[in-house]
Amino acid sequence: MRTTTHLLAATAGVAALALSACGVSNTAGGGSGGEEYPSGNVEMYVGASAGGSSDLISRAVSKGLADELGASFPVINQEGANGALAANKVAKAKADGQTIAIQNASLFAITPLAVSEDEVTNLDDFDVVQGVSRDDYVMVTGPKSGFKTLDDIKAAKKKVTYGTTGVGTGAQLSCGLTYASAGVDAEAVPFDGGAPALTAVLGNQVDTACIQVGEAIENIESGKLTPLSVFGPERVEYLPDVPTAKEQGLDVEVAQYRFMTVPKGTPDEVKDAIAEAMQATFKTEEYQAFNEQNSLTPMEISGDEVVAQLEEDKKRFADMVEQYGLDLGAS
Amino acid sequence: MDVNAFLDGFGLVTEPQNLLYCLIGVLIGMLIGVLPGLGPAATIAILLPITYSIDPVSAIIMLAGIYYGAQYGGTITSVLLRLPGEASSVVTVFDGFALAKQGKAGTALGIAAIGSFVGATVSILGLTLVAPLIAGWALSFGDPEYAALALLGVLLVATIGNGNKLKAMIAAALGLLLATVGRDSFSGAERFTFGSLQLTEGIDFVVVAMGLFGVGEILYNLEERHGKPHVPAAVANIWPSRKDLKQSSGAIGRGSLIGFVLGVLPGGGAVMSSLAAYATEKRISKKPERFGRGAIEGVAAPETANNAAATSSFIPLLTLGIPANASMAMLFGALLILGISPGPQLVDERPDLFWGVINSMYIGNLILLVLSIPLVGIFVRILRVRPAILAPITALITILGVYTINNSTFDIFVMIVFGLIGYLMKKVGFEPGPMVLAFVLGSIVEDGFRRSMLIFDGDPTGFFTRPISGTILAAFVLVALWPAVKAIRARRRAATAAAAPTDRDHVDTPTR
Repeated sequence: MRTTTHLLAATAGVAALALSACGVSNTAGGGSGGEEYPSGNVEMYVGASAGGSSDLISRAVSKGLADELGASFPVINQEGANGALAANKVAKAKADGQTIAIQNASLFAITPLAVSEDEVTNLDDFDVVQGVSRDDYVMVTGPKSGFKTLDDIKAAKKKVTYGTTGVGTGAQLSCGLTYASAGVDAEAVPFDGGAPALTAVLGNQVDTACIQVGEAIENIESGKLTPLSVFGPERVEYLPDVPTAKEQGLDVEVAQYRFMTVPKGTPDEVKDAIAEAMQATFKTEEYQAFNEQNSLTPMEISGDEVVAQLEEDKKRFADMVEQYGLDLGAS
Repeated sequence: MDVNAFLDGFGLVTEPQNLLYCLIGVLIGMLIGVLPGLGPAATIAILLPITYSIDPVSAIIMLAGIYYGAQYGGTITSVLLRLPGEASSVVTVFDGFALAKQGKAGTALGIAAIGSFVGATVSILGLTLVAPLIAGWALSFGDPEYAALALLGVLLVATIGNGNKLKAMIAAALGLLLATVGRDSFSGAERFTFGSLQLTEGIDFVVVAMGLFGVGEILYNLEERHGKPHVPAAVANIWPSRKDLKQSSGAIGRGSLIGFVLGVLPGGGAVMSSLAAYATEKRISKKPERFGRGAIEGVAAPETANNAAATSSFIPLLTLGIPANASMAMLFGALLILGISPGPQLVDERPDLFWGVINSMYIGNLILLVLSIPLVGIFVRILRVRPAILAPITALITILGVYTINNSTFDIFVMIVFGLIGYLMKKVGFEPGPMVLAFVLGSIVEDGFRRSMLIFDGDPTGFFTRPISGTILAAFVLVALWPAVKAIRARRRAATAAAAPTDRDHVDTPTR
């Protein structure tokens, strides 16, 4: 019987190992260029825990890449420091395309405004290969708050509280800039992610909240939350009746978007292979349905365009934060 | 409640295909539950691609099975190896491991399985009947309430150990201090991270618990057993006796209710429920000194409560679209991938899925009970294994478990440091339990309090004027003052008794 016990423990361990590395390496794809890419499994780091939108997007792309390139692209979650830990892994990896990551714009454009200089992740450590999608923010309010439009809030007599998904996030910046530029006396209440912020605004614990569209949409559609504004350059396909902040006379444009990165100095053939495989993935019905289900707007632009956008956003955000004296760090 | 949809749900679950997926789910869950660290959330993530190709209802039944199956598996390591795989099993360790040492591991595991089954079933019944009602209550539970509840929890932590109260308090204070490590979630400032990016997210509970309990115990045993011949621990009675069952029935009943109610609260609900259930049993027991030395109620109450809580945490997901914990977030993601948006409309839009999942839990839990009772007999034999073999296995489990949380070797070293701390604590008579629990509750207290102060605009009276937080704080004061009140009453009685020796109280006084 003793062996049975050991066996059980061993089975559990082996099952776990097998589950986390169930890759079959197979280098049938590719063909062009001197060296074959990929050679074996490609590690895809995610700077967030399993289950969030960053994770799900990486998994959807990982599946597409595996189908296109004929290798396994295991997703490795390394949560922490708004994604800086996962970014570090890629930055320090060998520049051969075997370690890649889909990263968030907020880590490069917004987080630097909230943390000290030596914790900032530098875009120069990466080559950006391909844009992925945009994940818009929406400002919502509960039915008991009495607010129906952004104008109601501008006319508010008391201090307005707003929930955000954390310090150094786009949610904090979009809500913060809206209140600052509208001249409303408001207080930020940072939560640990989207779900608790959603809970708080549904339960009327905070007056308003800025969260990602995908997290709020079910409660908006069922009438439990009132959407006040979105913050993208144009309206969001999934919430066609909700005006942008710009339409409502506020110069606020904030969106989260994601893009594929590889270590700086990765050969062009490898980057092209990844970009092509991603573009092929974007064309599949399965992937398009995934975007729709998660309320994501495709932003399938080239790597250079992503870099240009990031640089522009970074400067614009820094200027606005300074102009309105918004302090993202201290609450 | 739509009775037809409910019955259709049952029909759906009893289809052979769905029964099979339910069985696979709970089996995988039970196995990964044994391995601390590799939690249900990570497992669901890994198995996600498989679910693309099967029917959505079957997929969710399987994934849900993994989640509640893991709750059963976690008990086994807590009782046998002193490895609590999650925060809500920490309390089980106190009496569970004590029972195992007395050769009553089978009793402990058996009662835990029965309690888990009862707790889960009561909770599913609640989920079936009053889900929308209780979901509304969860929403009115804001940050002030969390802060108050977790504060009460910290107070309970200091009283549940059986050792020196002062030492328990010192350990709890250390735990609170540890909880502050990491990037401040309000200002972005780094606290006690010493410039290490790895510490910005704070220290994971599993790392602390595996170190203090698991590695600490291994080190301590190495020293204690050194040179002594190995005597296999007696595995006396494998089955809980009728007396054990009778003794735990009250604890199981109360644990079910506490677990169901507190489990609905996102974040910390399960920990609080196991803690509250244990503390309740200890308070109402006629012999509280038995707790911590192998009281069967001390296993029954928290295990019942944490299973009930695991089940009721489905309520916010299925009725509000809010994932209450990491595993629920993963299920949320899985549902989205399958083309289903969990939220207030789910019960009307997809009654098949809503009732299919809920009803599969009745069956899944029955499967778990049937599976786990015979397995108890096998599991307890682990205690007969010589320490020279068992210790490396335990060490392997802890290292593997800690690594899988965040794929980080850094965490393994942090765990080893905690192992040394745990060993030293045990040497000088400190219990790791209060430290670990205070560590978990610390960030809830801090975040809740600071967020409340932002919401109240700096006015702390709000804590007392809100009905729920006010009530909790009143309970806090009562619990805190109770020993003092008791002492004063005892002294007064002693005084009266001394003044009038013929008084009836006379008989009582010496024991007070």
